[in-house]
Amino acid sequence: MNKDQIVQSLIDLLSKDQVNTNHEALYDASADRYKKYAKARKVLKVPMPLAIVYPNDTQEISELLKFCNKNLINVIPRGGKTATEGGLENWKDITIVIDALHLDKIIKIDPYNSQATVQAGVALQDLEDELRKIGCTTGHSPQSKPVAKYGGLLATRSIGQFSTLYGGIEDMVVGLECVFPDGHISRIKNVSRRSGGPDIRHIAIGNEGSLCYITEATIKIFKFYPENNKFYGYLIKDVETGIKVLREVMVNGFRPSVARTYSEQDAAQHFYHFHDNKCVLLFMAEGPKGIVEATGQAIEEAVEKFKDGIIKQVDSQLISDWFDNLNWSQKDIDDEYEGMIENDSHAGYTTEISADWETIPKIYNNVIKKVKSEFPRAHDLTMLGGHSSHSYLNGTNMYFVYNYKINCAPEDEMLIYHHAIQKIIVEETLRMGGSMCHHHGIGKFRNEWSKQEHGSAFYMLEKLKEVFDPKGIMNYGTIFPQEDAIKKYIYKG
Amino acid sequence: MKIVCMVKIVPDVDKFEYDFESNTVVRDNVRMILNPDDASGVGFALKVKSMKPDTIVEVVTMAPESVEPLLLDLARVGVDRVTYISDPIFSGSDSYATSKILAKYLETTSYDCILTGTHAIDGDTSHVPAQLGELLDLCQMSNVIKIDEDALDESKVVFTVDNDTSVSTYEMKLPGILSIQKESNYKLPYIKYEDINKDVNDQINIISNDDLAFEKGKVGLEGSLTKVNRTFVKEYKKRNKVVVGNDEQGIETVYSFLKDKGFV
Repeated sequence: MNKDQIVQSLIDLLSKDQVNTNHEALYDASADRYKKYAKARKVLKVPMPLAIVYPNDTQEISELLKFCNKNLINVIPRGGKTATEGGLENWKDITIVIDALHLDKIIKIDPYNSQATVQAGVALQDLEDELRKIGCTTGHSPQSKPVAKYGGLLATRSIGQFSTLYGGIEDMVVGLECVFPDGHISRIKNVSRRSGGPDIRHIAIGNEGSLCYITEATIKIFKFYPENNKFYGYLIKDVETGIKVLREVMVNGFRPSVARTYSEQDAAQHFYHFHDNKCVLLFMAEGPKGIVEATGQAIEEAVEKFKDGIIKQVDSQLISDWFDNLNWSQKDIDDEYEGMIENDSHAGYTTEISADWETIPKIYNNVIKKVKSEFPRAHDLTMLGGHSSHSYLNGTNMYFVYNYKINCAPEDEMLIYHHAIQKIIVEETLRMGGSMCHHHGIGKFRNEWSKQEHGSAFYMLEKLKEVFDPKGIMNYGTIFPQEDAIKKYIYKG
Repeated sequence: MKIVCMVKIVPDVDKFEYDFESNTVVRDNVRMILNPDDASGVGFALKVKSMKPDTIVEVVTMAPESVEPLLLDLARVGVDRVTYISDPIFSGSDSYATSKILAKYLETTSYDCILTGTHAIDGDTSHVPAQLGELLDLCQMSNVIKIDEDALDESKVVFTVDNDTSVSTYEMKLPGILSIQKESNYKLPYIKYEDINKDVNDQINIISNDDLAFEKGKVGLEGSLTKVNRTFVKEYKKRNKVVVGNDEQGIETVYSFLKDKGFV
């Protein structure tokens, strides 16, 4: 089957209006934000997909996947296009993108049972807006909230800024529907809890489009008490102090919705109005009044316990104001894209990792030292720092943040700068026993370390791939490493 | 056609930090870079080479061996030959002695056009280009912001000069010397990722005093008649930061500031 025949077959399966072969749209579909600079400069060196298709329902997705499976056509599932690790990048000559554009219905909001059911293409912001009308919230607020869609949120094991209270997306999903490459549709029912064998929701959640296409999800919803919100902000001596205070609050059993510590450098770019070249620690307590009061008291006690590292408290209004402007909208993304066309610069990159309380400060310090001493272009760095923004009973994450002067051709920027820094972060994290991927997924640009990330348990992932996607048509190169493609599309071999 | 680009490796003075307490320049960890005006010269030469592939581009510099990695990178972006003149006897040469050394080398090689920068960001005396013209008996023009690459051949060059009060276009017989400004926006190409470690040693030409045969005392510190009368560190005033809110008052403050400075 040649390319034209494939496109015609897609039109026959769906309709002409549901098959997009516009050159500009296909170029846009060739890569995600990992290669944002090369993409903006129109120097991407990856194949373009043959078409983007927009199915109207689960049955059409089933037919599409059967067709692709039979004809060995690579499939990239797509939602809000905010992927950052290459999950949406195309590494196959014969590929189609299945976009959840028309799966945009909020099927049911059920406040009595505290759950809502949505199709994969529903934007998180749209559901949040509907829930606010009835005094509820999704509790999920990634920075991409105005743009991200539920299919992508589930597929990448997304996390939001209030995760310390509400959890990651995996804690919110009650049940879901997904379609496998052979066309089989699985519905995982919505119950409060069960012991019916392994929790199969987690085969779909986090699969990054490499096993199945998620079409629908039922998620928990929460009562929203914005009038009770309390904010706390502090200038602190160092990152270690901040981590100690975060730990103290968490291990004492409290769940502030936000609990964050910023390095001096990262604080300077977030809190220009008060950072004073110091690290910043901040909290937000949220929920019923009594819980907020108790959480606030626990925060103040933890701060008091480590007062030697606290420089001063800042006006809580400053923290509140900052939160109101934290998310990036489609306009922010578009503005950065335009900026990259006009200037030899971008807004920087991040790499997020996680580890236990004891290990995270060691990873942070080791990484900063190694990037400064081992990264060949360290002299071009304009910013290097990080923050912890998602805490758990036994540990936390670290979000490394960096930017640099770009002194290379746009097509080389990813490899010379971003990937080189990410490699140092990932390898040091794995060496120290942490996880290289806290919430952005593995995508294609961390799959060279997938086996190291999972160790002997990678066997389980490989078996899932063999069983659910035996012909390997689902998002080639994502999560599961493909040596030749890594050489070709990452290392220009 | 052969173009020779004279370049200087200089400290990246933009990276100097100023210590307001001790009133000193902090030079720690400051890297060496190719002088920006000179980089524009090489950028133009490589542009010509990309349009006319039989063009030969040679870069010439006088520098200690420690800057060799920067020179190797010039070969990696397409310069055919990199000549660096280095000998302990040359150390401490003032601009005139430097010009004598460079001119003596240039007498041994062929060229149709010599390109230099107009200014160097470290010393900024702008002596060398004019002194080379004098020593080699060539015409020389500074402040070049544009060269007509289509009109360029072995016999003549047409170029534009910005001397702050006017912009003029000239034609010059070649061989001759043109001194370019970075405002020309001729950019040095980046090294391709694949060429970052490319072996270019066969393109490196090292010249010492064994080749140039200067008598002791004619160059270097001993042969330099320029005497420095006084050096001083430029003083900077620390500016106060003003933080304004995203409100009417903040907008008014920013608008008044811009108006005061003549931007609006």
